[in-house]
Amino acid sequence: MGDWTGALNLEVEDRKGKTVAKKVYFQGALKVMRPIYHDESGQACYYLLNPGGGYLDGDRYQMKISLAEKAKLTLTTQSATKVYKTPNNFAYQEAEISLQPGSYLEYLPDPLIAYQNAKYKQKNVIRMDKTATFLYSDIVTPGWSPDGERFSYQAVQLLNEIYVDNELVVYDHIRLNPATQNMKGLGFMEGFSHLGSMIVVGKQTNSSLLDQLYLAIDMNSDEYRLGLSLLSVPGLTIRVLANSTQVIEKLFSEFHRMVSQKWFNTEPSFLRKY
Amino acid sequence: MENSILSLLQLCDSNFPTGAFSHSYGLESYIQENKVHNQETFSEWLRVYLNEQLIFSDGLACHLVYQALEEESLQKVWKLDRLLTVQNLPRETREGTQRIGERMLNLVESLYDAPILSIYRKRIGAKQSFGHPAIVFTMIAQYLKVSKAETTLFYLYSVVSSLVQNAVRAIPLGQTAGQKIIHQIQGDLAKATTTIGQLDEEDFGIVSPGLELSQMMHERINIRIFMS
Repeated sequence: MGDWTGALNLEVEDRKGKTVAKKVYFQGALKVMRPIYHDESGQACYYLLNPGGGYLDGDRYQMKISLAEKAKLTLTTQSATKVYKTPNNFAYQEAEISLQPGSYLEYLPDPLIAYQNAKYKQKNVIRMDKTATFLYSDIVTPGWSPDGERFSYQAVQLLNEIYVDNELVVYDHIRLNPATQNMKGLGFMEGFSHLGSMIVVGKQTNSSLLDQLYLAIDMNSDEYRLGLSLLSVPGLTIRVLANSTQVIEKLFSEFHRMVSQKWFNTEPSFLRKY
Repeated sequence: MENSILSLLQLCDSNFPTGAFSHSYGLESYIQENKVHNQETFSEWLRVYLNEQLIFSDGLACHLVYQALEEESLQKVWKLDRLLTVQNLPRETREGTQRIGERMLNLVESLYDAPILSIYRKRIGAKQSFGHPAIVFTMIAQYLKVSKAETTLFYLYSVVSSLVQNAVRAIPLGQTAGQKIIHQIQGDLAKATTTIGQLDEEDFGIVSPGLELSQMMHERINIRIFMS
């Protein structure tokens, strides 16, 4: 299993209010740039890069991210993750994330674009202390295909496992399988093409936060279909179906802003990439 | 035990008072949007619910819990109880299922003295386990020495038949239409049971986004006859 197309190991810690790298190691087709500090909060922001330009047949990527006590980190990508056709073996990415007491991680990758005949599996395992905070989002989008078919990829499977104080508290398992499913049908993508998911785990979560998020959105919009719900531990999950990345990103950045403001009294930084 | 099938049938009866009649698992969201409005559209929803959610959660759990009970590996059973609960992200369906599990457990405990039932109940009381109807059902079926495949098949049938009863009331459909649906879905249930036998733990908890979203959206439905 050690044969990775790209691997990254990033450990950060808090030094006098500033989050800095304790260890940065990467190899193959996975890199991080030097951290950027968007504001005075001491929160570091790392951009992940895939120098190969996309995931190909049988590619395997591994990330290990660790935040020591009170470290604050934004982890994002420099651009979308593109998965091209995988004639033999699915492309695979796994992330192991460890969050020590009082730490805060925002893991906000750009969308995943699955092209014609792509098969992709992703597994994120998060182990966190109950005083840590985790905010995550992902977006799955279909890539352009020659015949204009919206769902030309074969399968995208996403698994998020979250452990709080060593107990499994979230098991979020989605599989989109256009090769065998009727994606346009009832119960699947409901006529939409893009799927967005957001998970927030943090002890400050309560039902009034949920009410506030509901107030901020128009549940009758034709542009998207959205559901949110509280987890069995303090935290919440959001799913959105829409027809464009922008619609989902707009909703997620609004939710992100509300959570940051309510919990940390801060405004999230604009992750300028282009 | 020659009457074991008859005993299990009692648990499959939609009159068996577990509270399942109060839960639609997102169906009510589709009914209110008028996406499910007759026999045909309900059958479509029911097949998607069976094949894209139920087999990977409750169905696969029946199979795996049965195996674990045969191996007397209770730790695996408790692990599946947690997995079943935490993979259920929409709060209403998660909490509703837990309540059904507890009620079913209390009922069957008054009918059978299988030691495993009181162990499970004590764990739930101590908040070490959550409680789930698929687990209670499988505990009884395995105790009655019903086969693994029949256990899964009967469990799926019990879920589907109570959903049909709910749809008959909510859409509404005629009683004959309801019975036709139950009749027509029998082949799908047998197929689903075969599929479940070929799945493994890696497939656990897979859900299609639309179904799950409709279960989350149900939280904000104003006028409702179901709790989920």
